[in-house]
Amino acid sequence: MSTIQQRPEPGRTGGPGSTATSATTGAPSGSDGLGVTGGTGGPGGFAADGQEPAGDGRPWVIVAVREIVVRVTNRTFLFSTLFTLVFIAGFAAFSAWQAGKTTTYTVAVSSAEGTRLVEQAVASARTSSDTVVITPSTVAGEDAARSAVDRGDIDAWLHETTSGWALTSGDDVSLSLQTPLEGAVRDAALDRNAAAAGLTVEALERGATLTADRFDGQTTNRGFVQAATFAFALLFFMGVLMFGQQIAASVVEEKQSRLVEIIATAIPLRALLAGKVVGNSVIALAQVVLFAGVGLVGVSFTEWSSLLPGLSTAVVWFIVFFAVGFFALACLFAVAGALASRTEDLQSTTSPLTTVLMLVYFASFALSGTALKIASFVPILSVVTMPGRIIAGDAAWWEPVVALLVMAAFSAGTVLIGEKVYRRSLMQTRGRMSWKQALRTAD
Amino acid sequence: MSEHGDSRARARATTDIELRHLTRTFGEIRAVDDVSFVVGAGQLTGFVGGNGAGKTTTMRMIMGVLAPTGGEVLWEGRPITALDRRQFGYMPEERGLYPKQAVLDQLVYLGRLRGLSGAVAKASVTAHLERLGLAERAKDHVEKLSLGNQQRVQIIAALMGAPRALVLDEPFSGLDPAAVDNMADLLREHTSRGVPVLFSSHQLDLVERLCERLVVLAKGRVVASGTPDDLRATSVARHRLVLSGDAGWVRGISGVHAVDVEGRTALLEIIEHGAERVLLEEALRRGEVHEFSPQRPSLAQIYREVTA
Repeated sequence: MSTIQQRPEPGRTGGPGSTATSATTGAPSGSDGLGVTGGTGGPGGFAADGQEPAGDGRPWVIVAVREIVVRVTNRTFLFSTLFTLVFIAGFAAFSAWQAGKTTTYTVAVSSAEGTRLVEQAVASARTSSDTVVITPSTVAGEDAARSAVDRGDIDAWLHETTSGWALTSGDDVSLSLQTPLEGAVRDAALDRNAAAAGLTVEALERGATLTADRFDGQTTNRGFVQAATFAFALLFFMGVLMFGQQIAASVVEEKQSRLVEIIATAIPLRALLAGKVVGNSVIALAQVVLFAGVGLVGVSFTEWSSLLPGLSTAVVWFIVFFAVGFFALACLFAVAGALASRTEDLQSTTSPLTTVLMLVYFASFALSGTALKIASFVPILSVVTMPGRIIAGDAAWWEPVVALLVMAAFSAGTVLIGEKVYRRSLMQTRGRMSWKQALRTAD
Repeated sequence: MSEHGDSRARARATTDIELRHLTRTFGEIRAVDDVSFVVGAGQLTGFVGGNGAGKTTTMRMIMGVLAPTGGEVLWEGRPITALDRRQFGYMPEERGLYPKQAVLDQLVYLGRLRGLSGAVAKASVTAHLERLGLAERAKDHVEKLSLGNQQRVQIIAALMGAPRALVLDEPFSGLDPAAVDNMADLLREHTSRGVPVLFSSHQLDLVERLCERLVVLAKGRVVASGTPDDLRATSVARHRLVLSGDAGWVRGISGVHAVDVEGRTALLEIIEHGAERVLLEEALRRGEVHEFSPQRPSLAQIYREVTA
């Protein structure tokens, strides 16, 4: 109430002394803290006329804080966030464990030649990956090998056939065992054949290699780019859908219960909309940052950790794009909420938005080449496609900047139009409005 | 309260809400048609009218929720602003709250939106909750409250923090008799500090009991306004006549309208001055007169007359 005490208006009513006046005149049973005796400027109530409101905080901040508090204390929201986090962390941990796990194979042989091949395979396996260990074990023949496989003592039996070597097992032979043994058998055969022809293996293999690279010298991993783009699309799609629906629901909740009439007499509707959009954007962004952070930590434990710097840059861009794009979408979802008059109408008023989101989601996988390049500048589409291009390494530094500016302009326009439609449709209580009607209606 | 204190409080606190030629059309329909009246400072003004008479539309226009097609609302002699309305207490016709938020939290939130500081809002809400017997429900979610208790929470939303005017749409509907009295006391405390209070109601007996003034609306127009006595004065006086024999003959007396005759009792309107003399002479000629008394018309009766 400090506003009043700092600015007492002489000759005007409602100064600090007013409380005393009414207290001495003894208004009936009003001195019980109801604020009834407070007059217009006393400690119990509102500021005197024409003055700034005496409360603490701007209206849109109060609204935003409520949105955040209500959301963060919502059990369903907390569980779904926690579940997603556990899922991301679990997936990363599983990949890391899978990659770091040492597999030991025991291979039965029946000849010295076989033992030598196994030893050679062990040596080559060690240089390519340190997670495979192969140990030889000697058996007398096929029957002994079969019973050893059945008992589980050995994984496979390496033996000579008329045309070369065979690896026989009780089941399909694992690739991580077959590949090094195949190499060893091939090398041994090449050595022998080269010697017979009076040549060396090097001479035989000269000119037989093919390498793949790019003009820009970048090294990329196509699978990794696809996985990251998919992750971006999923995060964006889930985040917007979840929070967008939440915003629409909270708008229609106020409209349906007519709470909005009480709120509208207290604050401008623009402040209500701003508070809702900002509040939900803050939580949505915090959630995405959390998910992305856990995801990045997860990636650092996998074989893709060397790609982390490039990925981190893309993630930062993604979050910036997400923030700007979400702002526009949040506003549109608020409008969708205002168009409905009951919760049941939400499905139809939000369907144009969910359709657009689906298109963005699928476009992120379907597009490539020039189409992808164009898409990465189209607002909302750019949220997913531009960071994807950044990871792939084919976006010049200015491209994300331009795409971001385009989207910022789009968001600003959307917020301006959205605010108008929101205001017009929020007070219409007679049934559901169409987007077209809302745009045409006068204030 | 002393005269002096009363006038001081009135001069200090508030002014009237004045409606001037307020009109609102929805397409072809004139929901509110040239409505003018004053909600006096410190007065409890009842707003009555049938369904669709335009009460809610008028109140929504006072509160700025709906823009008028024509006319204006004055506060302190000038057109009302959003900042003025921010300090009004308002209770909309259809009610609701955030079902999944605690009672205290959402009331404090609504108070802060109206410009109260968090501390002031909390103190006022807590005091009101105690007063209305809801103190121990402060932390409960609204959806767990009975409808009557939700109604009380709505009332607090309108009354908290010493509003400068009150506009209440059907504030008494859904309340039990004890709560009605409680609510009436609360409203009187607000009028006693000079606040203008306008409330609509279908319960005419209640309006008669509580209001200093009333405004009757029918088909979007004001058909009567003033104190209950003012309204009675415009009404045709009625008399009750109880005889020793059958009263059917009164129908034949000119200048007298028999509203209702049942056995030996008749309810009459004296239309021509002097007709009661002829009536009584005839009655005495026929037998005894047990009763001949003027009837104080009920508000319901006046209402039926003015809205007919």
